[in-house]
Amino acid sequence: MSWFSRSSSEESPAATRQDRQKCWESRDQYFECLDAAGVLTAGEEGTACSKSKLQYEKSCAKSWIDYFNKRRVLAEKQKDMLAQSHLQSQEVKRKL
Amino acid sequence: MSKLSSTYFRSLRSCSPGRSIQCQRPYICLRHNKTTTPGRRCFTSGAPDRASTVGVFTPKAAALFVATGAGLFYYFRYEKQKLLEQRQKELESRSVGRAHVGGPFTLTTHENRPFSDKDLLGKWNFVYFGFTNCPDICPAELDKIGSVLTSLEKDYGTLFQPVFISVDPARDSISQMKTYLMDFHPRIIGLTGDYATVKSTCKAYRVYFSTPPDADPKGDYLVDHSIYVYLMDPNGQFVEAFGQSSTPDEVVERVKKEISEFEKETGRKV
Repeated sequence: MSWFSRSSSEESPAATRQDRQKCWESRDQYFECLDAAGVLTAGEEGTACSKSKLQYEKSCAKSWIDYFNKRRVLAEKQKDMLAQSHLQSQEVKRKL
Repeated sequence: MSKLSSTYFRSLRSCSPGRSIQCQRPYICLRHNKTTTPGRRCFTSGAPDRASTVGVFTPKAAALFVATGAGLFYYFRYEKQKLLEQRQKELESRSVGRAHVGGPFTLTTHENRPFSDKDLLGKWNFVYFGFTNCPDICPAELDKIGSVLTSLEKDYGTLFQPVFISVDPARDSISQMKTYLMDFHPRIIGLTGDYATVKSTCKAYRVYFSTPPDADPKGDYLVDHSIYVYLMDPNGQFVEAFGQSSTPDEVVERVKKEISEFEKETGRKV
């Protein structure tokens, strides 16, 4: 319970709208590069996207980067699952 | 067979006590009974002079049975209809079947003023829980609240009070909240407090959040939390929870409908 006594100088300032925008843009660029390299999981691309990765890591907090990277994988899985369920429902309709 | 006939005769005996003992054959006995005790009948089906009856039913009884059946059928159908109508009315009414969301709390605004659940009264409130280090969902939802407010205030003026409650009190100090909210609609009120108060407020609003009680104020972590925008009416009662998929237009339409119903019930808008 130490935060009640902390002085305000210890605080890391909240990201502003500009900060967030910058982070999101660098993320999109990095992910675009990953897409082009055919890599889904961030970090598995080798040196292919090092430039955009550097910018991404400079613009976003580590916790955000982890979150976005995980979500990218999850979203891809979800896309697969949705496509699959769509296919299945089409098949069922065809049989009826 | 012998058991059956003894039961048979015993029942006959009960019809005409004292005399049926002499009876040897049932049909004689029946006739005998009929003459001695006309008020009581043990059997009617075997009687040859009642050829027109079927079982225990006379045409009259059958007619009565059918009439009662039909009557009951229509009566129950009517009752069921009435019940359904009543339920429909209850569903449409705002006050019945409302979720028990919300409760007492006292937190501090980003302007360093106390703010309690009493301050929700007399306004239409949008209550949202989040944290300032939120990567994308919270800012998007706060922007959504902002655009809903801009649209509603054009028609209704300032009947609304948007409230942003932090689920990350370790890092979201009053000054942090103040800085953060400068990016959003100017009327959004940021609330924070100590961990226990935030936790009990979240519990009252059925909000889940994952911040540990001993979170490092300087740590770089995210908070997993429920992302609903709650609409609370001017009596401080829960009306609706809007998820991420609700568009600003949908929210505006819903709020307008709620305000007009509230006005119909109470004669005032807040």
